[in-house]
Amino acid sequence: MILLQSPSRFLLQILQDRVQSPEKGVDLDCHSVEFGDVRYHIQISMKKPQVMALSVSLPIPPPEAIFYSGLPVGAIEAIKAAYGPIVQILDPPKDGYNLTMKLYLSKLPSDEEQRQALLVKIASVREVVLGAPLRVVLKNLASKTVAPDVDQLVALVHRPEESFFLVPQTEKVIVVYPMRFQDSIDIVLASSFLQEFVEARRTAALNNAPPCMWSPSPPLELKGAPAEALTANAGFVTFVIFPRHVEGKKLDRTVWNLLTFHAYVSYHVKCSEGFMHTRMRRRVESLIQALDRAKPDTEKMKKVVQGKSFKRLSLKEARGS
Amino acid sequence: MDAASRPAVVIDNGTGYTKMGFAGNVEPCFIIPTVVAVNESFLNQSRSSSKGNWLAQHCAGVMADLDFFIGKEALSRSRSSSTYNLSYPIHHGQVENWDTMERFWQQCIFNYLRCDPEDHYFLLTESPLTAPENREYTGEIMFETFNVPGLYIAVQPVLALAAGYTTSKCEMTGVVVDVGDGATHVVPVADGYVIGSSIKSIPIAGKDVTQFIQQLLRERGEHIPPEDSFEVARKVKEMYCYTCSDIVKEFNKHDKEPSKYIKHWTGVKPKTGAPYSCDIGYERFLGPEIFFHPQIYGSDFTTPLPAVIDKCIQSSPIDTRRALYKNIVLSGGSTVFKDFHRRLQRDVKRMVDTRIVASNARFGGDLKSQPIEVNVVSHPIQRFAVWFGGSVLASTPEFYEACHTKAEYEEYGASICRTNPVFKGMY
Repeated sequence: MILLQSPSRFLLQILQDRVQSPEKGVDLDCHSVEFGDVRYHIQISMKKPQVMALSVSLPIPPPEAIFYSGLPVGAIEAIKAAYGPIVQILDPPKDGYNLTMKLYLSKLPSDEEQRQALLVKIASVREVVLGAPLRVVLKNLASKTVAPDVDQLVALVHRPEESFFLVPQTEKVIVVYPMRFQDSIDIVLASSFLQEFVEARRTAALNNAPPCMWSPSPPLELKGAPAEALTANAGFVTFVIFPRHVEGKKLDRTVWNLLTFHAYVSYHVKCSEGFMHTRMRRRVESLIQALDRAKPDTEKMKKVVQGKSFKRLSLKEARGS
Repeated sequence: MDAASRPAVVIDNGTGYTKMGFAGNVEPCFIIPTVVAVNESFLNQSRSSSKGNWLAQHCAGVMADLDFFIGKEALSRSRSSSTYNLSYPIHHGQVENWDTMERFWQQCIFNYLRCDPEDHYFLLTESPLTAPENREYTGEIMFETFNVPGLYIAVQPVLALAAGYTTSKCEMTGVVVDVGDGATHVVPVADGYVIGSSIKSIPIAGKDVTQFIQQLLRERGEHIPPEDSFEVARKVKEMYCYTCSDIVKEFNKHDKEPSKYIKHWTGVKPKTGAPYSCDIGYERFLGPEIFFHPQIYGSDFTTPLPAVIDKCIQSSPIDTRRALYKNIVLSGGSTVFKDFHRRLQRDVKRMVDTRIVASNARFGGDLKSQPIEVNVVSHPIQRFAVWFGGSVLASTPEFYEACHTKAEYEEYGASICRTNPVFKGMY
């Protein structure tokens, strides 16, 4: 797995289970937490097996990100547009959550493919809700409509109390991520990962990808941002998105990838740590082998190791060994 | 926000299946086979060609160290293409291959649970006979690679007992009979502490049941393609097997009414796509029977499971024995055969009763010993009882205090994971 997938696996699994075997008569009440502190709470009661209550809690927004009654700007419209009649938004949401929706499973389309597509869409609720403002900006870019707030800094939340910034312009959108990591080793790995990342963008095969920059100090685009947003221990990454990156079907993927860029870097930092461990283990093993070869009496040692603890020896065998 | 305010992640890595999910839930989010499919083709290239190697991989759309799959995906990938090799990181309840185990965890966390490991406390499980070094290794991986804020490595039988604790009564004394896919342990626990010297393990577990069924099917000459036969045997075991009360009577029953007892299995040959079918007869009850009559499976080990349980309790401290007989708890996927607990209870009870009769006869009626209550407890969540116990334990506030934290790890190193509180002074 190189990129994180947009639908939540757990949510999708529950939805598919329910749709395939609706008669399964159990109450369901479970929680799940995803990266970036997005929490889900799923409830299905026996009384109404066709109705599923899904509550989503979002990361706490930093002061600069605009939230409108607990949700990012345009989220409610995005939910309605994405799901249509099968979803009813409850107001106010459940205590401790930002959004509670009722899903009417009986209203799902009967066509197998459409239904599957819709279930995947429901499982990607995170992308729909958190990505709503980003999607609006990118859509404006694709249709080249001049939004009223051109050249203004837009802050979007992606992790608890952390945001990334958009600078929408008529011909392009500049996206800036302040990268922060907790662990000191992670910081080092992430900075070098990002520099490699920028380097990799320069190869011929990736000519059409969005240009990207990394700098240890805040780029000029962030002039108007609050001071606490400008401290980042692993530098700043800037992407420039052009209309060709958000045409048609590419829009969904671009929204998701931009939204989870931090999680993507963090995942790859962890992966490279794991990979280094693998190589270290291999090295130690080869060194131990070299040491073992130097031992004069390896033959004798082997016999002792051979005896399996579970094996019962018959009397004859026991005497023989 | 503090990691302690989020639910802990509970991962129970078994030989056959891994159960994972968040504490506080009743069921694990995912139950997947513990298997990794790795693509080794890029790993062994020499370092001198690393730049070219990188480009080659890039063009192929893969990264060697990320090109692997776990769980059901791994099984289907390895079947459809030959570039992937299957690797089972756990054998007989012990982690054997740390490389693949680390990758397995990585995918569990990032691809399945999709959580940030820095945000959650972790509860992992281990079999009672795990070496302290292995525990250190686990701690090292968790703290170094995943940066978890806190880690607790629990012993499976204690968790299984804790799972029963909520469904019935507050009892932390009992014998846990943990029959998994790769290991069977009989572990006495007194007041939440494992009696380490009395742990018994036997070399018969779920995988052996599968192998035995496979052998029976093969010997009878059923037409199952050899590359599929293990999978078929496993499915047969999971779907049709049950425990009988008397093996001779069961044979008679089958012979009288074959139509009622014989099941059919139909499948498709993986290579040619041709359908095939086979009958399933005596395997249905002979499979689980190897726990009660191990001699029908092999001559290496011939003590039946009830006798092992009895021996285990007899070797425990004398003041705990009655309580242990009273609470024999089953856990693990291979104990969910129908009527398994009834059969076990009857056999253990029979053994205990004959011993009492014998001792009464020896004292000639002067002393009457009180009858001993034998109780084999079975509950509906037996298959993931260990996970459920972990979920219960990790949702209590005390859990966060019992954890090894990252600060402790950085101060003292991996040795903090060496000792386990439930053994108290054993290591």
